[in-house]
Amino acid sequence: MGRGEYQTPHYNAAMRDERGFTLPEVLAALVVLTIIITVSFAAFLERNNRLQQAAEIMLAYQALANEAEYQRRIQYTLLIDDTESSDTDSSGSEFRSDTKLLEPLGDYGTSVKVNTVQPGVRNVTMTVRWRNGERIARLTLVRVDTGGLRLW
Amino acid sequence: MVRRRRERGYSLLEVTVMLGAFAAVLAIFFIATAEMRQWEKRLPINFMRHPQVSAVIARMRRDVVSAQAPDPYEPEFGGFTMSSKTLILRTIVPSGGLQTVVWDFSEPGVARRHAYTSTLKESVWTARGLPNDFSSEVKLDAVEFDDRPYGVRITAKDSNGRIAIDQILQPRAHD
Repeated sequence: MGRGEYQTPHYNAAMRDERGFTLPEVLAALVVLTIIITVSFAAFLERNNRLQQAAEIMLAYQALANEAEYQRRIQYTLLIDDTESSDTDSSGSEFRSDTKLLEPLGDYGTSVKVNTVQPGVRNVTMTVRWRNGERIARLTLVRVDTGGLRLW
Repeated sequence: MVRRRRERGYSLLEVTVMLGAFAAVLAIFFIATAEMRQWEKRLPINFMRHPQVSAVIARMRRDVVSAQAPDPYEPEFGGFTMSSKTLILRTIVPSGGLQTVVWDFSEPGVARRHAYTSTLKESVWTARGLPNDFSSEVKLDAVEFDDRPYGVRITAKDSNGRIAIDQILQPRAHD
């Protein structure tokens, strides 16, 4: 488009009072807009992260509750204290229950550790780890030696 | 008098810098959103956020936990037959009495809890508006524990076939 086309009387009349915005004005407006968008987006992301975290924790605690049902049923004498185990690096055993539910968490790990709190009382701690161990859900069950009573 | 001013516009450098900054912001937004969407796709629907679903599970848990061991289950009762959509069990109520409870998931979107004292129907509690994928996929099963009464396993998949609910409920000891 040639420069001459802008020289028409009509165009000149229309543009006579047009000054437009200066660069600092436009930049300042953009900065304000960017701050607003960034804050809104950060809030949106945070909300989604929390929802996602809640969904993950819901899965993890379902698995923990299921495992607790199994650990609750094991005879007290068969609960081996990990500190008494010959394997000093023992990280506990894996879950006995079905953990297919945890598959959406990606690489996850489960462990069950037993430790004696006092004679006749043992804590069974079940742990689910995911996101390379960054996220952890844990549930501890207190088992008491009832002398083998079935209670049924 | 109107002051005339020479129109210059922005230089190519200014426009390029601004577009570069804008593209960087867009890229950050896009990457963050894509990562979020990717995680969302991996996770099943959280049915437990639905108040009716959590109410059904909570009531069923109470019934099973309070079930009269060692064999609280009935194969048939009141025209119902035990199946993957129907659970029949005898449970102890807070008053100390015994009720036969039938959980029925056979109707889409609805769960019903029929409570009987002896053979007399005492109440029906209905949970309506359950998510369709929950009520079509919900499945009741038995879990075996050594020397213990069977437990109840309730599972439900979402519309993408991912397990969203998997809960084992076990009768507790009580005298």
